[in-house]
Amino acid sequence: MRQFDQQRWLRKKWETLSEIPLRAHYGPEDIPAEHLARLASPPGQAPFLRGAYPEGFRSKPWRIFQLSGFGKPEDENERIKFLLAHGETGFLMEHDRNTADHLFNVDHPEVQARSADVGLTGAVMQSVRDIAICLDGIPIESTYGHAGGAVVQHAPFALAGYWTVAKRRGLDLTRLAGTGQSDYFLTYLGCVTKQQVPTRAGLRLNVDIMEFCNRHLPKWVPISIAGYNGADTGLNAYQELGSVFANAVEYLDEVQRRGSMEMEAAAKAVGGMNFRCCMDIFEEASKLRAARAMWHQLLTQRYGIRNEKVMNLRIHVVTAGSSMAYQQPLNNIARGTLMGLAAVLGGAQSLGVSGYDEALSVPSEHAHQMSVRIQQILQNETNVCGVVDPLGGSYYVEALTADLIGKGWEFFEEIQQRGGFLECLDNGWLHAKAHQNQNADMDAQASGERTIVGVTDFVEDDAPFEVDGFMGVDDSYQVAIERLEELRRTRDAQAAGIALKQVHAACKGSDNVMPAMMAALEADVSLGEIGDVFREVFGDWDTPITA
Amino acid sequence: MNEQRRILLAKTGLDGHWRGPSVVAKALRDGGFEVIMIGMTTVDEIVQAALDEDVDLVGLSIGGHVEVAERAVLALREAGIERPVFAGGVVPPWARKRLEAQGVEVYPPGSQLPDIVAAARRLTGLSAAQ
Amino acid sequence: MGRLLTLVERSDEATAEVQRHVDVGAPGACILGITGAPGAGKSTLVGALLRHALGAGHRVAVLAVDPSSPFTRGALLGDRVRMSPGGLPAADVFIRSLATRGQEGGLSHAAQTCAAVLAACGWPWIIVETVGAGQVEVDIAATADITVVVLNPGWGDEIQAHKAGMMEIGDIFVINKADRPGLMDTRRHLELLLSSRGADAPDVSIVETVATGGQGIEALWREVMACKAVLFTRAPSLRRRRRLEHLLGDALDAHVAARMQRLLSSEAGAGAVARLDQGSAHLPELVDELVAAMFQPPDGTKPD
Repeated sequence: MRQFDQQRWLRKKWETLSEIPLRAHYGPEDIPAEHLARLASPPGQAPFLRGAYPEGFRSKPWRIFQLSGFGKPEDENERIKFLLAHGETGFLMEHDRNTADHLFNVDHPEVQARSADVGLTGAVMQSVRDIAICLDGIPIESTYGHAGGAVVQHAPFALAGYWTVAKRRGLDLTRLAGTGQSDYFLTYLGCVTKQQVPTRAGLRLNVDIMEFCNRHLPKWVPISIAGYNGADTGLNAYQELGSVFANAVEYLDEVQRRGSMEMEAAAKAVGGMNFRCCMDIFEEASKLRAARAMWHQLLTQRYGIRNEKVMNLRIHVVTAGSSMAYQQPLNNIARGTLMGLAAVLGGAQSLGVSGYDEALSVPSEHAHQMSVRIQQILQNETNVCGVVDPLGGSYYVEALTADLIGKGWEFFEEIQQRGGFLECLDNGWLHAKAHQNQNADMDAQASGERTIVGVTDFVEDDAPFEVDGFMGVDDSYQVAIERLEELRRTRDAQAAGIALKQVHAACKGSDNVMPAMMAALEADVSLGEIGDVFREVFGDWDTPITA
Repeated sequence: MNEQRRILLAKTGLDGHWRGPSVVAKALRDGGFEVIMIGMTTVDEIVQAALDEDVDLVGLSIGGHVEVAERAVLALREAGIERPVFAGGVVPPWARKRLEAQGVEVYPPGSQLPDIVAAARRLTGLSAAQ
Repeated sequence: MGRLLTLVERSDEATAEVQRHVDVGAPGACILGITGAPGAGKSTLVGALLRHALGAGHRVAVLAVDPSSPFTRGALLGDRVRMSPGGLPAADVFIRSLATRGQEGGLSHAAQTCAAVLAACGWPWIIVETVGAGQVEVDIAATADITVVVLNPGWGDEIQAHKAGMMEIGDIFVINKADRPGLMDTRRHLELLLSSRGADAPDVSIVETVATGGQGIEALWREVMACKAVLFTRAPSLRRRRRLEHLLGDALDAHVAARMQRLLSSEAGAGAVARLDQGSAHLPELVDELVAAMFQPPDGTKPD
């Protein structure tokens, strides 16, 4: 068992988690001239290095935004209400990944073969009826909601379902605020599904969603690029930066090609992104600062956008799930706090802190509550909200921020030279990059170069488990089967059939898919039926990985 | 040549986190094993692959409920495959106990690769050192 | 079957034992080789073909070959992921992943013997997917009855670079990922090269597929069946002789190689190296001596 070792400590190679070498101290000469120019603008002004708003958290505290979901729609509904009651200021719906990510109904053979998994990672929502149960009693007109649909092929269904529930409540969609995600990093890089539409079909769906929101839901954030999922798969800080912007230009170039919406509106639509913060506090805070400056640079230089209001990158941070240890899980409360602090120091607009039982299960009620409490402590007790960009002007942080911007653009350029972001997903280049970092990380742990308390060092073999992991509920599958049967029995079969045909026609043709999707949800078309249409029309992505 | 050992690596769930299994697969390959990766597979497919591939060890990456992994172990035994099984992934302590009761060795997150490779050598009857 | 192939893969003695009990000519079996550079989508194509063939009621065995590391002898064998037959009758399909285990080229000796054993054991279709280690493997053509070469759109240079080997071995050319840009250029390029093969070269077909979406798979299977019909009706005995000749050659190769290895690691081998080292003998005479010794059992009585 490894313990603190003086010799090892003195030999330690000091570098960031992205392997940027560190000097023992930094001075004014370490900040490049072009970075000083960025630094000259105060918070709230381009290039937004120092923050999105002039008053920072004084005017807008970050949104406490936790991922939540398991079991039946009513279980998830109860958990969301619990979190809101404890001070969460927005909510994220999580759909069951077995069904939602794959667009399978629960009676699909692949799902039936693992019925015990159903409801473990989110609530099963196979139709608008299930989504209505999940949102029951939640004031979506006044609470910022994430409709789920983290996965590209699932987003049209999840969003249309949420919006249909809103319409049925008589809400004005043009005033409805909230967000989707529809992110490539999640299932094309991080957790590759068994079956999903090819990347280029996904691009079409996402830009359809952007156009639809632009026309009908101007307050909605249609998509949210989630560098988190790339980073938690192994991309380092500057690779995360380079690849999220490489992803963004796929959308913006496609909008430009279609000419169907103003570039300013498109920039605003893509400008809500999700990053990861892990344990290297200063590098992660620097990364968020770098991201804002890079976004501004991209929009002005590549697209000639001049309106500052649309260039202000909005950042949601999730703390690194992979940094949460299985061993001695209560240590993770400290980790969550520190990673959350990194996000706050970097000026994030919203934050989710992973549960301390992340490595064991989906969060228990207690772990969820702790995640909210950590954020409340940061917000209310530490005075960290008093000053915008508290790290600004630190020689170290500015040098690191400048370095990350430079390396981020290099990575971005390399992706462009290799055919662009989607091509680098298709051919596995990004996966290889992530994989390389994962292996280096494991080797560093094994060799003693990297210490993780309770895992590589300071291990307690005979320590009793302090936390047992959330057990979920065991009737999700059965109830989902019953609800699916009831849906088929009680819906207007003819109307559903017609609506489904229209989705098929829209997918086959070049019309925006979303109006037909809205009509399909309204007509009680089920998740799996949408999936069957996608599978037939778009085919399957040829995944470049085998593990 | 006769010492060549083959390991089957399967994912029991539809949750495709590949970070864990891929680093394990590479470590096992570098440890001299032939690693047959079959991705997200049902219990029936795991049994079929274990038979076709005639492996010396079965590795299960668990991304969902432990019940699916338990069924996989039972099905392997029913098919007459007595090869050892080891498992990794998100396995909470209560689930770990259930698998260990079936004779499955469990390597939760945070397990170090040299330990996993050493376990594979031991479980396939090779000497501990490479 | 799985256990049997392990034995075949491990030792030539076991292979010989198996081959004593079966008709190695396997008149009913058709071996289909799939080759092409890495990334061409061979595994996905094999998976789609497999599902199609199974759906049409055929029984199919697949051998998927991947490279072993020359340093650790380990290997990552991941082709099976893309071939999952998904819910089709398990009795009608057999998939085995093979590592090259230090054999040069794309197709291991074991893969050839495994294919022969599967054929002999009554599998009517055996699909062999090669490594595709950057070069076209010509040995697939010798083992397979029908060879399918997989290309992608935009591969003008690759076709040019490999035209010598590839043009000769392909019975069917597949342009997979046909939804990508550059399809027509690649097709024209291929047609041009094929047309320069001379008038007496057999007809070959070009099929466009998108294996991930299943497009073109039916057409490919039709071409395969057409090839098979020609093979099995036009000259079945010729085909059988061709296969037997190849098997015999391969078995001889393996046998001689094993003897050579034994000899080299014996005292005689060490002695020869020592003489070479001292300068007391030259290579050609040592080769003659050792070849003679290879077929001369140590006790000088009868060959083993």
